[in-house]
Order: sequence, then C-alpha cells, then structure tokens
Amino acid sequence: MSEFDAIVVGAGPAGASAASRMASSGLNVLLVERGDPPGSKNVSGGILWGQELSKLYPDWEKSAPLERFISNKVTGFLTDDSYIGIDFRTKKFEKEKTGYSVLRTKLDGWLAKKAKDAGSTVITGITVDGLAWNDKRVVGIKQGNDIITSDLVVLAEGANPRIAIGEGLRPPIGDHDVAIGIKQVVKLSEQVINERFNLRNGAGMAAEFSLGFLKNGVKAGGFLYTNKDTISAGVVIDIAGLRKDNSTYSFNIMDQFVSHPYIAPYLEGGQLQEYSAHLVCEGGIDYVPKLYGNGYMITGDSAGLSFSNGMVIQGMNYAIASGIAAADTAIRCKNSGSYDLDQIAYYDNLMKDSQAIKDMKNFRGISKVTWSPMVHEFIPKFAESVLNGMFYETGEPKKHLMEIALGSLKETGYDRKKLIIEGFRLMRKM
Amino acid sequence: MVLEIVVMVKQVPDSQEVVIDPVTMNLNRSMTRNVTNRADENALEAALQIKDKVPANITIVSMGPPQAETTMIECLARGADRAVLVSDRAFGGADTYPTGLTVASAISKLDHFDIIIAGEESSDSSTGHVGPGVAEFLGIDQITYCSKIEFSDGRVTAERELEDGTEVVQCPTPVLVTMLLGSNFPRMQTLRRKIDATKKGIEVWNLEKLGLQPEWVGVRGSPTIVRRMQSIKERERAKKPVTLEAIPDMVKELYEKNILKVK
Ligand SMILES: Cc1cc2nc3c(=O)[nH]c(=O)nc-3n(C[C@H](O)[C@H](O)[C@H](O)COP(=O)(O)OP(=O)(O)OC[C@H]3O[C@@H](n4cnc5c(N)ncnc54)[C@H](O)[C@@H]3O)c2cc1C
Repeated sequence: MSEFDAIVVGAGPAGASAASRMASSGLNVLLVERGDPPGSKNVSGGILWGQELSKLYPDWEKSAPLERFISNKVTGFLTDDSYIGIDFRTKKFEKEKTGYSVLRTKLDGWLAKKAKDAGSTVITGITVDGLAWNDKRVVGIKQGNDIITSDLVVLAEGANPRIAIGEGLRPPIGDHDVAIGIKQVVKLSEQVINERFNLRNGAGMAAEFSLGFLKNGVKAGGFLYTNKDTISAGVVIDIAGLRKDNSTYSFNIMDQFVSHPYIAPYLEGGQLQEYSAHLVCEGGIDYVPKLYGNGYMITGDSAGLSFSNGMVIQGMNYAIASGIAAADTAIRCKNSGSYDLDQIAYYDNLMKDSQAIKDMKNFRGISKVTWSPMVHEFIPKFAESVLNGMFYETGEPKKHLMEIALGSLKETGYDRKKLIIEGFRLMRKM
Repeated sequence: MVLEIVVMVKQVPDSQEVVIDPVTMNLNRSMTRNVTNRADENALEAALQIKDKVPANITIVSMGPPQAETTMIECLARGADRAVLVSDRAFGGADTYPTGLTVASAISKLDHFDIIIAGEESSDSSTGHVGPGVAEFLGIDQITYCSKIEFSDGRVTAERELEDGTEVVQCPTPVLVTMLLGSNFPRMQTLRRKIDATKKGIEVWNLEKLGLQPEWVGVRGSPTIVRRMQSIKERERAKKPVTLEAIPDMVKELYEKNILKVK
C-alpha cells in the first residue's frame, strides 16, 4: 500500500493545478514545493494567456489574483536611437479577455491554497531529492533519508528539471533549449501607470521588443507588462549568443533595456520591488521528452511545454493544461484500480490533442527564426532606416518608398542571400 | 528518565525585508515574509543536539498570532516533538513583561520541564528580555548568551562568549538558557516529519486555558508605551581623493574645519 495516491513535485501552475484537480476528485495527494511561500522561487513575465484556469475554477476571473486584463499588445524593435512599434488595441480584447497580467508570488500562493482547500497535503520549504524505484517502476520520492511512497509521481519541477534529468527521464539541458530570463518589478501608482500607457478600467498592456541595439551577436528580447500598480520589465537572452561574447553580462542587457531612451520614461520615478532571474524553456517540440513512464508523468516546463515566437511567451497556460491532463489520467487510473503503463499512456493521448503540443508542432523550429540575426539585427536597423528616410525632413526632394528601402538595405550591410533564406523562414514559421 | 526540554520560539518578519512606512513610522509588515527568529532556530538546534545524546522530549512554546503555526510546523519538521502556540486576541500588543508572564504560565502548564532554551533575542524587537523574564517568573536559574550547551548527570554546562574569553557555567536543572545567534548550524526540515506535523497540527492554548486575567496580558498588562518611532537617515559622508603629497594639506583642512583637534 502506498501512502499517497499521487505525489506532485513542485507547486508552480502545473503542479498546483494537478494536485488540486486530483484532490477534488478524492485522491490522496501530496504536493511538495521547495519555495516557502510557494511562488517565491518562480518568475514569469507574466501574462497568463487563455482560459485554462476556468476548467479548474469557473469563477477564476473573479477570485484569482489577476492584475490587469490585456487590452493592448505592443510588438516592437529598439535600436540605439529609435523605438519602432505596433500598438494593437481592440475592443475585442475588452469583451473577450485573452490574457491577464499576473505576479507569481500572488498567483502561486493562490493556486497552492486552492490545492490545499481541495484536500491535498501541501508541504512547502522542502526540496525533493529524487525518485524511489522498485523493479523499474517509480514508487515514490526520496527526501533526505526518507522515502515517501505513492502510486504515481507527477513531476512539475519547472524549467530546470533536476530530478527528471537526474533519473534519466529526459536529456540534460543544452544552450538552445533554454534562455535566461531576468525581470524586475517596479512600483508606481495605478494612476501613473494608467496615464503613461493610456489605460482605463483595469486594462493593461503587454509589450515585447527585439533589442536591436545589442552588439557582437548577443541577442535578447525585452518585455514590459503592466500590473495593477507595478510594471514588470525584463529581458529574455539567448544563451548561445551570450556565451560567444565575453564582454557582455546578462545583467548588462537588463540595464540597457530599462535605461533605453524610450523605455526608461515608463519606469521613471518607480521603486524597484523585485529583481529575479530564471530559465525560460525555448527548445520547442524537439525538446519535449517522453511525457510518461512506469509510475510517473512529466508536466509543464519540466516537459519543455513552453512556447515563444518572439511576440508572446506562453508557458503558464500549457503548464496548467498539462497539470489537468496528468490529474485526469491519475483519476482514471485510480477509478480503474490500475496504474499500469498503458493506463498512464492516457496522459500522452490527452497531450497529443492539446493546444500546447499542437502549437509547438505547428511552430517547430521557431527558435531558429526568433533568435535569427534577421529579427535581432536586420529588421530593427532596416525599419529604422526606412522610417528615417520617410519621415525625416531634410529639405531635399522626397524619394519613393522603394528607393528608400533599397538604400536602407544597403545601409544595413546585410548579406542578401542570407536575407532571402531567413526571410523565407520567417514567413513560413511565424 | 526522559529529559523534558522546552524551546521558546517566535515568528518574526524577515529582517532583510522589513521596511518602515515613511508616513506612519510603523514597521510595514504587510510586504514581508514571516520566518522563524534565527536565534530561536539555534535554540532548537541546541535542544536537538542534547536529544541526539540522551532520551529527550522537545516541546516548542510560542506566543503569537494564528499564522505562527507555520513556524511551529517548521520546528516539528526539524525534530521537535510537540508544539504549543499560545494565541489569543487578549495577548496582542504585549511588551516583554506580559510576554514573559504568558510564556512562563504556558510552560508551567506542561507536566514537567528540565531545560528551557530560548534565542538570545528576537530580530524584530531585540530586547533580549523575554527569556530572562520567563526564568524570573518561574523562579529558576538562567544562563544567558551561550555559544554551546551540554547536558549530563542532571546538570547543564554552558559556554558564554565574553569579550576577553569564554566563561564556562554549570548549573543543575531546572534552568533556562539563551543561545547566541549563529551559535550552531540548524538542521534541515525533513519531508517525512513535515507531513506528519502538518497532518497532526499543533496545540493552540488561549487565555482561559492559561488561567490568566485579561488585564495582566497583552497591551493592558504592558508597562511600556512606545511614544514614537523614528527612522534614522545615514549621513552622507564627504569623499575626496587626495594624493600622498597632499596629506599635510588635508590634515590642515580638517584642523581648520574643527574636525581634527590638537591637544
Ligand atoms: C522571464 C520569464 C517570463 C515569462 N513570461 C511568461 C508569460 O508572460 N506568460 C506565460 O505563460 N509564461 C511565461 N513564462 C514561462 C512560465 O513562467 C513557465 O512556463 C511556467 O512557470 C511553467 O510552470 P511550471 O509549473 O511547469 O513550472 P514552475 O512555474 O517553474 O514551477 C515549478 C515549481 O517546482 C518547484 N520545484 C522544482 N524542483 C523542486 C524539487 N526538487 N522539490 C520541490 N519543489 C521543486 C519550484 O520551486 C517551482 O515552484 C516566462 C518565464 C520567464 C522566466
């Protein structure tokens, strides 16, 4: 007899959702989180996209600690001197909410409390060391000198899945599988934020930029999200590029972003409240391992279920979806009285049909594009040059757009053949 | 015979995160995380080290609001056997005097105790009164500011760090000892113990259970009144790079500005 029907490692969105769902179906669940309180070790931008939580908590839009609903989405490029952006606002986002800004300490605290209220035993401040095996089957977890047994273990460790890797359930992380995320939370007042970003009635903005001002092949994206009375500002940095340049440190990039002439004014006068760093999964579908095995399932970032196309990062919603799918599998096992491998395989079936896996399959290889010199060097420079050509009044006769574009193309010094290949990829992948 | 050890603990706001509200001059606790007072973790570890050698029972006693339960569970997860949280609205706003009284009366309600161990002081008020106060209320001996304690043959041997050396004090039980911050390395919590503690829960005792009068405890029983809190601004120090040759000039300047005096 096992002590628990299921043990969940990690109380991020994946683990807390799984635990809550299983416990509310009557399973005896243990949820273990090393952070105390939950969320204290976690970082997201973060915008929670989609309606995943409604499957767990139909009233989540009222009860969850959400900051602002996203009413406008900005995509842009920053060069040394310029800001080029598309600011998309639509009434549609106000009617049907597509995403909410969230702060992880609050959100994770709420999710863990929900899991506890549903009946799970929630233990914080303790790091699980590994899995307990018996006859090639996972039979529980190891912590210190103890083994705690369960019929199933749900791994929800996040982007640095030390147990899954250590137990040989997934390959180690390579430079192209993850990026470095750095984020700061800056306190302002609700009113100041509303004025600076032209927002009303709980509406918020999510902005992502390609940081075209970086040199020496270093590549990073920047983001700016509005919370109720704080702004989350951060960068996501390509590790391979950073490794090649010994003179740039990750925090330099953060500093450059927040002091950019057109970003700094948004944050001016604010008080720094949090500064954190975390890995971001970037590996795409090829980085997703086998999701299950004898006695275990892997969920969320631990399974590489995260998606980024340069304009959004999605991970929390996939984490929640995979947590729910793992829970539904566990509930099915419990009801049928069998925890055999072919029963656990149900999780894989659920995931195959999930939006997470479908999105990731659709966008296979997207990171080659999102981290391409085209996006990070060529487009920002080209756009800046074209716009300068169009709008900068020199007193000379105006040129036709085509003429300007060709001139700008030359100015960027970008290899044309490379441009065609990368441009084609961009069109295809995005 | 089983040795009965009581460890006094307090939940405090994480001192690294405490900020003083610039308007009200009160500690703003809403943004801070609550943790176990660090010196109390050293007190618990001292108790556990005794328990490693002789059969012993460790009871945690704490006065605090209901959310102090998390601290009590943490202590159980490190190895304590029993946890009593003394909690009642009537205890709110207590200074160190009624706190000592309240904790002492809770300890006297336990069947028996041989050694009481407390941290040297709490990081949020830094008085160091409560441990000694409890010893006084209970009428037992006390050894304060210890770096190390041992128990054998019914006696506690304690080392006290003094400015010019170490003092070794020996004392028969019952005795109260306060431990210095950082005097040992607190052991980790274990998952097994934390599960058990979480499931079992802790004991909560109120005013009635202690049999104390409301006017003896809390803000009503407190002789001290905090009139004012003030946050102190660090004075900006003047800085000036000087060359070796310019040192005489610098000394002269300091003298003229009345900063350096000549006898
Ligand atoms: C800078 C940045 C910006 C992002 N922006 C967004 C965004 O805007 N929108 C979005 O949807 N996603 C975003 N993401 C991605 C998102 O944060 C993740 O996809 C999501 O958190 C994954 O959830 P999870 O539950 O799988 O893992 P996590 O949230 O990482 O949770 C894992 C939990 O497991 C715990 N844990 C790990 N190992 C152990 C152990 N051995 N024992 C006990 N506990 C353990 C950890 O402490 C943690 O609480 C962003 C990520 C970063 C870094």
